Amino acid sequence: MTVTRVAESRTEFKLKSLPEDAISSVKFAPKSNQFLLVSSWDCSVRLYDVSANIERHKYNHELPVLDVCFRDAVHSYSGGLDQTLKMYDLNATTETVLGDHKGAIRCVEFAAEVNAVLTGSWDGTVKMWDSRVPNCVGTYNQGNERVYTMSIVGEKFVVGTSGRKIFVWDVRNMGHVNQRRESSLKYQTRCIRVFPNKQGYVLSSIEGRVAVEYLDSNPEVQKKKYAFKCHRIKESGVEKIYPVNAISFHSVYNTFATGGSDGYVNIWDGFNKKRLCQFHRYNTAVSSLCFSHDGSALAIACSQLDETEAEDPKPDDTIYIRYVTDQETKPK
Amino acid sequence: MGRKKKKASKPWCWYCNREFDDEKILIQHQKAKHFKCHICHKKLYTGPGLSIHCMQVHKEAIDKVPNSLPNRSNIEIEIYGMEGIPPEDIKEHERQKTGGGKASDSDDDEPAAKKKATSALLGPGPSTVTSGILPTPMGPVPPGMYPGPMAMNPMMPHFMQQRMMMPGMRPLFPAASVSVSTPSKPTFPAYSNATISAPPTTSTSSELRENGDVKPPAANTCPLVTATGAGSKIIHPPEDVSLEEIKARNAKFRPKPKPDAPSTPVSAPPMIAPSTSQAEINFQVAAHMSAAVAAARQQAMRRPMPMGMMGMLGQVRVPVPVSMPVPVLPVMPQFNLMRPIQPGMLLPGGMMPMGAMFPGGVPGLPMMQPRYR
Repeated sequence: MTVTRVAESRTEFKLKSLPEDAISSVKFAPKSNQFLLVSSWDCSVRLYDVSANIERHKYNHELPVLDVCFRDAVHSYSGGLDQTLKMYDLNATTETVLGDHKGAIRCVEFAAEVNAVLTGSWDGTVKMWDSRVPNCVGTYNQGNERVYTMSIVGEKFVVGTSGRKIFVWDVRNMGHVNQRRESSLKYQTRCIRVFPNKQGYVLSSIEGRVAVEYLDSNPEVQKKKYAFKCHRIKESGVEKIYPVNAISFHSVYNTFATGGSDGYVNIWDGFNKKRLCQFHRYNTAVSSLCFSHDGSALAIACSQLDETEAEDPKPDDTIYIRYVTDQETKPK
Repeated sequence: MGRKKKKASKPWCWYCNREFDDEKILIQHQKAKHFKCHICHKKLYTGPGLSIHCMQVHKEAIDKVPNSLPNRSNIEIEIYGMEGIPPEDIKEHERQKTGGGKASDSDDDEPAAKKKATSALLGPGPSTVTSGILPTPMGPVPPGMYPGPMAMNPMMPHFMQQRMMMPGMRPLFPAASVSVSTPSKPTFPAYSNATISAPPTTSTSSELRENGDVKPPAANTCPLVTATGAGSKIIHPPEDVSLEEIKARNAKFRPKPKPDAPSTPVSAPPMIAPSTSQAEINFQVAAHMSAAVAAARQQAMRRPMPMGMMGMLGQVRVPVPVSMPVPVLPVMPQFNLMRPIQPGMLLPGGMMPMGAMFPGGVPGLPMMQPRYR
């Protein structure tokens, strides 16, 4: 209920040896709070040991990397503007090119359910890859729209594209699209994340707005969907509306964090329609968020993404690790 | 008088005329919307309480209740839920309820009240609490919630209107919209027919194109990103393209020329894959160019070239101005060629090429097509 404004404190720290350009994605390891993968526009993918606050590994793509994900503790997948999907073995420090798209790879997700990697690209397709060898299992057209965001939980796989389209797939049966929807928000889709309980997904747009939607097409269930405004700042009579760039779910409580270009991170209880808390304002836009597997830590990537005219000097690209409390993340 | 079981006995908020099912919710609403301190976000219990808090804690005077209707902004009146409302206003409210007759169904008047509240909010008043503390259900929100232009952007390229059914155009085809299954309540009434368009039987195989249909960015640009209305500004470039795509246009993110490739634009650039689809992509990029030119002349012109273009002209060292006539030329043949093979483009909502499913065009719509030629 109450809005807490938390000042910078011991519960939060900045990672060292950060990327030299904007951070596109941060991902915690599947079963530990210790490791964090970071992809960046400086063409690198880095693995951080968060507890020791050191960079453990780094490998490069030819061009900026837009997304990265873990398969397990020691394998990562990454893709970006060079249109190439790479697998990296963090133990052996070897990289394998799994294949490529005809456009930049925007999203990379690992589907544990079928032990496959999914990549979404600006070429308008999603591809599924064998997780171990360079073998593209299938190519799935997403209405010829550029893929902007993807999320997978269990078998539920939701793709958000340009033109405000949403495609709901079942990774166990990629033969056909389960649902084809249009975003309920008026503006460009920025991020989609599926609820850990798989009931629905949360969708954000560039116009400071977030929608909570349900996958069950039963009208009774559909009635529960709603949207709300957020990440807006009123300054001298003008309301500035910021893109909501990032969403991350707390896997235990089904609450979620949103990060916007306003530099704020909010935590919401989607089922009870409550904001649980707002952190202090970060130095620049929040470009990516990731809760650790148990929800005890939140990685917050701050990078300006040319939302407006470039600021001079460009704000630093930073990553904060914040240890969150139940008070901040648990429904009241 | 004496009869109490009238519908009008629902609790309502004096400040914004909104009705609630429960007084508890009303009190929550008042605390969040009207009694919240805009400086520290503390929720007070009454208008005078808020005023005293601001005075004592922040040394600021508050003269109006935030988010209230113009004639209901008095901060001196002590109102808590339904308590303290001036009797004449209660009577007035009841009279409006009963006098309004059929409009008294709960769902109907809530949006109306909200609309008023919003317009009041846009006014010069010291309204501060707008970030979603109390997210409202989307269902009944009227278009008035979006004070901006709802219509399609007039700058939208012409050919797009021809090629695909834009959501805003759907009502032109009443017959078509009936056939669209809309399992959920529309979010935006203006989009009502566009919410979900899922013919679940579509076979994906017909849509798969192994040769990778790179859709050039502007070709499916919806309305450009415009402000939602006076007094608000979306912090986003005007083009409806993702921030990443815009950033990717930066010259420094172009693929580096490979040493073995001679620096002529004719050779296959390293980034675009097989040369078979080269021509096709070339065409599409060209199509995109015309779209960009028609759609967003000013903005598009100033920006560097989009990704696809970069790839195409990978070896060109100097960025080619967008107005360069060369790529624009092949546009017309491209579209004449393309349109017949993508009748699905006209399918309401789907926007999927469904040529394989309906080789003769879209059932129920065949005579509509010529209109769009």
